[in-house]
Amino acid sequence: MFSSLGNPRQAAAQLMNFGLILSTAFMMWKGLSIVSDSPSPIVVVLSGSMEPAFQRGDLLLLWNRNLFSETNVGEIVVYNVKGKDIPIVHRVVRKFGTGPDAKLLTKGDNNAADDTELYARGQDYLNRKDIVGSVVGYMPFVGYVTIMLSEHPWLKTVMLGIMGLVVVLQRE
Amino acid sequence: MASQDKISVYNLADLKNTSDDAIPNYLNSLRFRQSHRLTDTRLALGYSAFLLAAACFAWDYRFGFEATKPYTAAAVALYTLLNGALTVWLLYVERGTVYVGTSPGGETVRITTGVRKNVPVYEVTVEVTPAKGKGNGKKEVVQVKRAFTEWFDGAGRFVAAPFQGMLAGSFAVVGKADPKRAAAAAGEGKRGEEGPAAAAYTPEMLEMLAKADVSVVGSAAEEVTGSEAAGKKGGKRRKA
Repeated sequence: MFSSLGNPRQAAAQLMNFGLILSTAFMMWKGLSIVSDSPSPIVVVLSGSMEPAFQRGDLLLLWNRNLFSETNVGEIVVYNVKGKDIPIVHRVVRKFGTGPDAKLLTKGDNNAADDTELYARGQDYLNRKDIVGSVVGYMPFVGYVTIMLSEHPWLKTVMLGIMGLVVVLQRE
Repeated sequence: MASQDKISVYNLADLKNTSDDAIPNYLNSLRFRQSHRLTDTRLALGYSAFLLAAACFAWDYRFGFEATKPYTAAAVALYTLLNGALTVWLLYVERGTVYVGTSPGGETVRITTGVRKNVPVYEVTVEVTPAKGKGNGKKEVVQVKRAFTEWFDGAGRFVAAPFQGMLAGSFAVVGKADPKRAAAAAGEGKRGEEGPAAAAYTPEMLEMLAKADVSVVGSAAEEVTGSEAAGKKGGKRRKA
């Protein structure tokens, strides 16, 4: 397999093919981000707090543009809380006011209480800008792969290694 | 993979890649001047796309999504364009070209190879554009389809002599640069018509075969390679 190293152009082409696979995946993700105006247009449900609507491992597709109407009560949204880096998927249950300053309160369908406990210290409600996107589609169970990958990080190394090996060895 | 000592004879991609790699080796040894323009353009397109994605990743990682949104949007658009251009380049400009060069006589030679899925036949197309001021300036295209068994033995070793003979015998540009091989290939063709009477081995071919550790029993090269291949394959299957 290393004979191609003797031919710099061929080695460069093989390396390029591998690089293009990675960069195309990344740019598709970024393209989706741009279209949906959301920094993270696809998220995976990590908890059962929205059962029976969503289960752990479901893949959610988000949309963060208010083209026709504002984010309203009843919508399921993904939001970030300052100081916590894990986004939360819950339903909007109350809304006070309109526009970007509207105060939103969320609650998990499967939770007994609303989310005030989950918000940052001193925070009683969400603003529109805290929201990463509203859920517009989902795919059950597919996201379990990423749960596996994040719970067993060595799987990532293994996967990346196998991908790289296949590309370098196959030359197609 | 290509240019390994042995390849799997059941892997069509290996057969094609090894043969593809042998073409520049052979032609450059005949004082053809290889042009890398096609490959270099492809590499430039691909690497600029990759670097753009890397830059996009860097600023996204460093400054976050909201702050860099316009740049990311522009990068996505440009990346799509570059990748589209690369696809067009591969499909319509390179179209499987493995060699572009100038023959010692000044003709421009472009060699395209291909295989059909699951058919172990090498399809070589040679386009020759005469040197400026010579001939009518018209492109001449010749296509030849030959079985890989002609230059791979049963164990998957590449045998250069018959491969080079195939090129020299089928394409006049190559034949002119390597008259010895062309003559040998022509002799072999004639003998084929008359029947397998005279052996058409050149000293180099015998040397090559000896090096390749192939026992020569029959008289015609193709027959030997063929029976050898069949024998080895049979042996393997029995063992398995």
